[in-house]
Amino acid sequence: MLIKLTGGTVYDPASGIDGQQQDIYIQDGRIINKPNGDFKVDKEYDLKGKVVMSGAIDMHTHIGGGKGNIARTLLPEDHRQDPVHRSDITRSGCGHAMPSTFVTGYRYAEMGYTAGFEPAVLPINARQAHMEMADIPILDKGGYVMLGSDDYLLRMLTAKKDQKAINDYVAWTMNSAKAIGVKVVNPGGINAFKFNQRQLDLDEQNSHYGVTPRQILQVLATAVKELGVHHPLHVHGCNLGVPGNMQTTLDTIQGIGGLPMHLTHIQFHSYGTEGDLKFSSGAAQIAEAVNRNKNITIDVGQILFGQTVTASGDSMRQHANHKHASPNKWVTMDIECDAGCGVVPFKYKDQNFVNALQWAIGLETFLLVDDPWRIFLTTDHPNGAPFTSYPHLIRLLMDRTFRNDVLATIHPEAQKMTTLASIDREYSLQEIAIMTRAGAAKLIGLQDRGGLSAGNFADITVYTNNSNRQKMFEKPDYVFKDGQLVVVDGKVVSTLWGTTHVMKPDFDLSVEKGLKDYFDRYLTMKLGNFKISDDEITEDGRGSLTAHPLKVA
Amino acid sequence: MSALTFTLKYQPAQRVDLSPLVCQRLQGLALGDIAALELQSGKAKLRVDELFDITGDDAQHIIIKNSVAKLDFIGKELESGTISVEGDAGAYLGMGMKSGEIKVSGNAGLYAACEMKNGYLEVAGNVGDFLGAALPGNKMGMKGGLILVKGNAGERVGDHLRRGTILIEGNAGDYCGSRMTAGTIAVMGSTGRYLGYAMRRGTLLLWNAPELSASFNDCGSHTLAFLPILFASFKSLNSKFAEVSVAFNRVQRYAGDMAEIGRGEVLVKL
Repeated sequence: MLIKLTGGTVYDPASGIDGQQQDIYIQDGRIINKPNGDFKVDKEYDLKGKVVMSGAIDMHTHIGGGKGNIARTLLPEDHRQDPVHRSDITRSGCGHAMPSTFVTGYRYAEMGYTAGFEPAVLPINARQAHMEMADIPILDKGGYVMLGSDDYLLRMLTAKKDQKAINDYVAWTMNSAKAIGVKVVNPGGINAFKFNQRQLDLDEQNSHYGVTPRQILQVLATAVKELGVHHPLHVHGCNLGVPGNMQTTLDTIQGIGGLPMHLTHIQFHSYGTEGDLKFSSGAAQIAEAVNRNKNITIDVGQILFGQTVTASGDSMRQHANHKHASPNKWVTMDIECDAGCGVVPFKYKDQNFVNALQWAIGLETFLLVDDPWRIFLTTDHPNGAPFTSYPHLIRLLMDRTFRNDVLATIHPEAQKMTTLASIDREYSLQEIAIMTRAGAAKLIGLQDRGGLSAGNFADITVYTNNSNRQKMFEKPDYVFKDGQLVVVDGKVVSTLWGTTHVMKPDFDLSVEKGLKDYFDRYLTMKLGNFKISDDEITEDGRGSLTAHPLKVA
Repeated sequence: MSALTFTLKYQPAQRVDLSPLVCQRLQGLALGDIAALELQSGKAKLRVDELFDITGDDAQHIIIKNSVAKLDFIGKELESGTISVEGDAGAYLGMGMKSGEIKVSGNAGLYAACEMKNGYLEVAGNVGDFLGAALPGNKMGMKGGLILVKGNAGERVGDHLRRGTILIEGNAGDYCGSRMTAGTIAVMGSTGRYLGYAMRRGTLLLWNAPELSASFNDCGSHTLAFLPILFASFKSLNSKFAEVSVAFNRVQRYAGDMAEIGRGEVLVKL
């Protein structure tokens, strides 16, 4: 079947097309060049005056893994307020802060998203994370495997194992857990928490292993680079949410010594200690450092006001934040000596000084970082806000008047502490397309995704241009996933199953020798069961794996 | 004006959500409009007149006749007026009611007066578990008003109770007053195991000595001046609680649950 999208205004930063009128041809799920000679178009969509982008990619969203289920269990009242009924083509579920798997897929697709990446796949819980993501319809998905607080790596560091051994372990874990990237959360801090340390600064030693976060970042960032994994080490840094952590973040950028590194939800790591209330914005300094260090990429983790739930592997910081839980209930736990987990419901209030300033810090970061290829639009769903608030966030970025109107309503002290009002920048459609499409695909190393040139998979979103960007982005006219029309006028009209993106770096098989003993002695499952086979993803007939090529050195 | 009366025609096969038939939502509607309202019953939706014969016109006074235990959510979020149930009521009777009065001549099911805000609820028969409790996962149960149960109550009476009074003429099951933050529960009959489990504050007033956990401390016998005032407030009720002979002011006092903040009290008649 040949589909023609006629006359749309195309924003495709991957091939440098910025708002040009173009026809797009789709055949067998892919975008193709205009066929030669005589050809018959089976289905034509008239997109004159419409905005055409590739399907959006959320490169950091918590959509799979145990913490999501803890959050769901913890907040039945949130689900009761947003029940979703079944239809002939969609399943029932519930929504708001931590939607059910099916609703996650539908609501993402209804905003024009066609892929989402779970940033905190615990290796030992990876099977559950993949099974959960296997229940998310329409979207492609993938995960970054979480290392850095696992005892095995820390033992290796204490034993001064060489970088090659660590590379093998990282590659083996990525293969076993079916990951496309590597994440580190509060490097070593989750582990230190179990030895009764309640904070761990960049150069502070784990009291048991004697390893510092700086060392962990170094070896993991090196491993990721040497293995040829595209996505730089995905770093949730030390001291999340602590006033003054801006300095830690700057030190982290400095300390990585030019290695590629992605700093995630950087808004939570950009706080100073100035002002009467000892809490201020460090966004300007952070943005300057990001602009200067081309090896650094970031996503923002914007907060937006309202009820949500924070779910993180950072049990140390979540434990410290539990007194802010609203409603007042929370969970912090160890996960099989591999990592941790903390779930704390949160209500961000515009009349709360800290929350209001957090909101402004996130926006300052967006607006002060020059290169849209190195900054990504996230709310760290659901930690800053549920992903359903992205259209609102896009409007804040693209519409200065609207932004200043909202700014005028937040806590007055926070207004005084932010430079937001003086920033004139408005994001363009092309910049939004970079942040949410081409840039994300490039960062993760997705082949044939995130672009609209021939050869790409036909993940395409069509919007009606509207000066109210929130309205525009919350209700696309059409969304195609792998060439199939899945959304019309912001409503799902058909569903399919996306693929699971992975990367398979090479490793020396001998790595399993030491690991087998370790698993037998300390862990709850055997090494053989730990490894996820391809069949487990594909055997239900709807999942599939797409392995992307490694970077060639 | 005569009371708006719904007479159940037959016993429905599935449970029925009766929440649309509440005074404030029927106010000003013609009988034809009420008949055309839809009620969720299992997977199906039923018109009101499929299930009920409807007579009368006073939406502030609703009567449900031939009622059975499959009719759930009767009087949900009632704002004013009265609802009389002749027969049994299902689960979630008077859930979240804000004002007004609900009376049931038979028994009521699970979660009666769940998260009730104010008003008066009376059940002549027995009630199921979680009387005046919070929905699962919620932190606050009943927040105000008065509940009178003439029969027995199930387990978890007043779970997460926040404010208000629950009077039970019969017995209460296990975990009576569990996790209550405040409020009063009075039980004339017996109580089960784990009385006041994890209660923080509030009062459990008992006529019979309970089986208390080790986390309750005996604080000795007291003559409490507030008890006659409390009993006087029950005078207008059509209940044993209104009788002069049941009142007392001399109690043994226990404090707990010490596994929580321990500021709750169990008062047992001496």
